[in-house]
Amino acid sequence: MEGLLQSTSLVKRAYWLVRLRWAAIGVLMMSTLVASRVFYVLLPAHKLYIMSGVLVIYNFLLYDLLNYFTWGGKSPSHKTISRIITFQISADLLILTAILHYSGGIENPCFFYFVFHMIIVSILLTRGQSYLQATLAFLLFGSMVWLEFRGIIPHYKLLGFISHDLYRDELFVFVTLGIFLTTLYLVVYMTTSISFQLRERQEDYEQANMQLKEKDRIKNEYVLRLTHDVKSHLAAIQSCLDIVSNGMTGQLNEKQSDLIERACRRTSKCVAFTTALLKLTKMKMSGRLDKSMVPLKNIFFNTIAAVEDKAAAKSINLGYEMSPAIDEIYGEAVLIEEAIINLLLNAIKYTPENGTVKLTASDNNKDIIIQVRDTGIGVPEDEIDKIFDEFYRASNARKIERDSTGLGLSIVKQVIERHGGRVWAQNNPDGGSTFSFTLPKTAINPGEPPSTV
Amino acid sequence: MGKARILIVDDDPDITEAMKIVLENEGYNVLQAKDGQEGMGKIKDERPDLVIMDVMMNTLSEGFVLSRELKSDPRYKHIPILMVTAVKERTGIDFEGAAGDDTWLPVEGFLNKPIKPEVLLSKIKSLLHEQ
Repeated sequence: MEGLLQSTSLVKRAYWLVRLRWAAIGVLMMSTLVASRVFYVLLPAHKLYIMSGVLVIYNFLLYDLLNYFTWGGKSPSHKTISRIITFQISADLLILTAILHYSGGIENPCFFYFVFHMIIVSILLTRGQSYLQATLAFLLFGSMVWLEFRGIIPHYKLLGFISHDLYRDELFVFVTLGIFLTTLYLVVYMTTSISFQLRERQEDYEQANMQLKEKDRIKNEYVLRLTHDVKSHLAAIQSCLDIVSNGMTGQLNEKQSDLIERACRRTSKCVAFTTALLKLTKMKMSGRLDKSMVPLKNIFFNTIAAVEDKAAAKSINLGYEMSPAIDEIYGEAVLIEEAIINLLLNAIKYTPENGTVKLTASDNNKDIIIQVRDTGIGVPEDEIDKIFDEFYRASNARKIERDSTGLGLSIVKQVIERHGGRVWAQNNPDGGSTFSFTLPKTAINPGEPPSTV
Repeated sequence: MGKARILIVDDDPDITEAMKIVLENEGYNVLQAKDGQEGMGKIKDERPDLVIMDVMMNTLSEGFVLSRELKSDPRYKHIPILMVTAVKERTGIDFEGAAGDDTWLPVEGFLNKPIKPEVLLSKIKSLLHEQ
């Protein structure tokens, strides 16, 4: 199977060729000027300027053509873009031959420039196309040289550069053309074999990547199903235990009541865990966010209301402050609230009694920054990068709360990254930690996969 | 006035049993059905005052179908429905937000399993206007 470049990267390369051509035109005009005015090489400068003019017009047309095919973000078919590139290369070969003709023919060492075209075509197009272009290059250059040799078309001497009439020297012409031909074919042969190997490897990577994505999807599906089943069993267990512990089936003695209490506690932890895992997995699998402009005031109000009982139970001073410049944020309100509530509950959980937890919002032109600052136990510095990983729990947090899901911060990270924001944690110099995240202000959609390149 | 009759439509016998004990403890008469079809039959025959139903029984949407069927029938549309599920996260549906939306989740109440006995009772009392 022949590896082919994707049409999007071909389009990029087609534009790249157009840009290269602008540079080449500049170089052509400059060198004509320098050769004729500085070194006094006698050449038909006006003809070369005309060629430059032709190139300018042709390059503008090509640029328009490319814009036409990529208008409004559409991507031309592989066939179309390959044809455009083939046309560009062939036209370039023709124009280069014409330029060489007006500047000394075979006596102008610039005929080596054909090699560039061979390399480009070997990288971008198929093997067949590459050999075809090499043949075309040889035919164009060869017939120009032959016609000059036979005196059928005029020869423009580079007077002042080469003194002998090399173009009429049989041996020179023969050997040069022979070497030229072998050079072209060898360049194409070498470049295509390397570039095809690279393309095949790239394809392997892409395929492996796709397989990984598919495996990840299957894994998520599996986790979802498993967690769902476990959770319905847990719900039944919890319901039965609640009834017994509520005394609806008769009074329990102290020992029985204690054991049932323990079972109840563990079951509800387990329910919390499966709920968090379901949420996280569901979020990873669902396609897009339902975003809108939401007043930040409402979000702060809801999140503070959701946790104030827990804060009050530990006599924690819970406060909030938002920069008056911020009015609304752009996102899915339920998810953003979930993320903030997770951060607040964490802060309350790991802050000793009578501490302070503060929710703030500020603004740095590009993003809105939401922060939860506490006077709690902080995060060990060497673990600060890991705490957003799934199931990771900081060593000092484990000591305080033995059973926790280790998923709360992963959910926060998932929510924020899907909104195109960033999450991080820092320890405060005066104790405690600050968890922060950004939300982009503009209505961009980084959660969606970027178009493949 | 005698205590209300409540129909539980759920395919999980343990959950049903647990809810039954809680409800009977409060003096309600409890009827059971294990799927939508049996539930519909019991509603026709027994005319319960309230229906508790799970969202997903044999199929993923049996609860939805049954609730719509009831609410589109003038004979039964006055019966309050309490929808319960253990798998809110699985569906990705905002049940609390949608409950009461007549077009697609025409139920009077929604609770996420596991349900604490006191939460279940207070919800039922409010749906039956007993408080």
